[in-house]
Amino acid sequence: MNLAFYLLIFSFTPEIGRGSGWSREPFFAFVATGLIINAIVQTLFMPSASELTEMVRTGGLDSVLVRPLDAQFLLSMHRFDFSSMANGLVGLGLLIWAVLRFPVAPPLIAWLLYPLLIVSGVAILYGLIIMLAAATILMGRNQSLYDFWFYITNFSRYPAEIYAGPWGDPLRTFCTFVIPILLVVNVPAGTLARPLSGQAWGMVVLTFAAAGISVGLSRIVFQAALARYRSASS
Amino acid sequence: MWKSPVNVAGAASLSFWPILPHMYNSSETKSDRIIEVNDLAKEYRVYDKPEGLWASVRGLFHRKNRIIHALRGVNLSVGRGEFLAMLGPNGAGKTTFLKLLSGIITPTRGTARVLGHVPWDRADDFRRRFALVMGQKNQLWWDLPAAESFRLHQEIYRIDPARFAKIHDELVDMLGVSRLLGQPVRELSLGERMKLELIAALLHEPEVLFLDEPTIGLDVVAQHTIHEFLRHIQKQRSVTVILTTHYMKDVAALCERVVVVTHGSILYDGSLEQIVDRFTTHKVVTLDLENAPAPGEMERFGFSCEVHGPRVSLRIDRSRIADVLPKLLASQQVRDVSVEDVPLEEIVAGLFRGAANRQAGIDPEQEVGAV
Repeated sequence: MNLAFYLLIFSFTPEIGRGSGWSREPFFAFVATGLIINAIVQTLFMPSASELTEMVRTGGLDSVLVRPLDAQFLLSMHRFDFSSMANGLVGLGLLIWAVLRFPVAPPLIAWLLYPLLIVSGVAILYGLIIMLAAATILMGRNQSLYDFWFYITNFSRYPAEIYAGPWGDPLRTFCTFVIPILLVVNVPAGTLARPLSGQAWGMVVLTFAAAGISVGLSRIVFQAALARYRSASS
Repeated sequence: MWKSPVNVAGAASLSFWPILPHMYNSSETKSDRIIEVNDLAKEYRVYDKPEGLWASVRGLFHRKNRIIHALRGVNLSVGRGEFLAMLGPNGAGKTTFLKLLSGIITPTRGTARVLGHVPWDRADDFRRRFALVMGQKNQLWWDLPAAESFRLHQEIYRIDPARFAKIHDELVDMLGVSRLLGQPVRELSLGERMKLELIAALLHEPEVLFLDEPTIGLDVVAQHTIHEFLRHIQKQRSVTVILTTHYMKDVAALCERVVVVTHGSILYDGSLEQIVDRFTTHKVVTLDLENAPAPGEMERFGFSCEVHGPRVSLRIDRSRIADVLPKLLASQQVRDVSVEDVPLEEIVAGLFRGAANRQAGIDPEQEVGAV
């Protein structure tokens, strides 16, 4: 449905944002990248994260903590949902379709960076999920925080260039440097779809750094939350 | 030598039970103590949510919190191979104590070492050497057959395959649960599930086993099976066991040492026999007479006299038993007689009541503060 909507938009305009480089095929490569990253997150991490609230509420977390395993690993990956990979396959097909229609084929370095940036994007989202999970441990419930997850990840679904003007610029800065959600899809898709300029390289480095910081910070926050775990009454 | 309990004076309100200073003697050396707990305390801050919409709005700006003292500075030392029972009413702090020793939660103050480790550091080496079974919570994967959960345990605890097969078969045979291994855990009865939980807990041959009400809700047959199993395993492997329970049958069947906990403090720490000696002054004498006694005839021999036809039950001071019993037998035509200690349930219930009365009278359980 979304793809049809985007096709409709491109029947009125050749590009989203003048000079942004997001013409029809590059934009569909962007959408495809978003689908792939989202599918990975939905398959590997979200099923476990969404169960965590129940585990904290019922005391199921207790049995995780007594096992000689990394609690963060077990809690973030104890359940997979392979049906979510279907969207990833659609994304992969769309990516191939779009890239084959690029006016200029992406250089080899872009192809090498692309999977690494996909992993980085997943890592940024993983860090956010874990930090929300940590909030669950502290608060015992967090439905509103998962709503927050939905709204914040919504920002990553569109090119960063649309966030412009007096309201858009601060939002773009915040979602790039504070909660680096705009790096997740924009940078891998941009690396493939647009020439690798000096600024683009800067964003690549920033994405790798953000991924490392996100995972590292999530680790610290999660451990701090576990230290404050109250357990449920038996 | 065991440390003396933190608070033996709690029994002071039990008017007919003498209070004696108590030390639980043991010949074990310091190195045999594998659980050492000093001044362990756990407090919880809970939001006292008032009723109503307006009160909820006010709660956004001014919250009243209560401090719950789940444990109040407990000292305890447990030797290798001991089977220790923790008794206490609901909310006494038994489960909190086990959660602290398992590293699930961290204390507000105090120290504890289990197998040389600080539990809440959650070192993998420590977690490989103990097991926790909670009667009211599942640790097996709910949707998987137990056999697959056991395989997962083998991987998680890195158990050698040959060793795993040997222990697995031994435990499964002992509890007679081989036919249940392929069934998803969610389809099993409570008793069946508990047997499988115990197997899962013992596959990695833990040195310390924490059992939190393992027989809760089980029928007498399942309770008996689990008693036999635990007794055998504990003797065979010298596992150190701390058991929390409300069932005196568990205690009588399994434990030599009893720790009574009320309101987060240890009220008694000693042997099962001593708990009877210390907290009762009388025995229960039950007589089956040829004929029902005349009203008021039996009261002169003892107190709390209960007469049901020719069956009479009365309590006699222990120091007077040797004097009174011959007189009693001489005065009546007796078909059968038994002299027993006061039931353990009654003694412990009295201890709990006494502690509760003392708590209510002297020290409010909760401190109220605004944050």
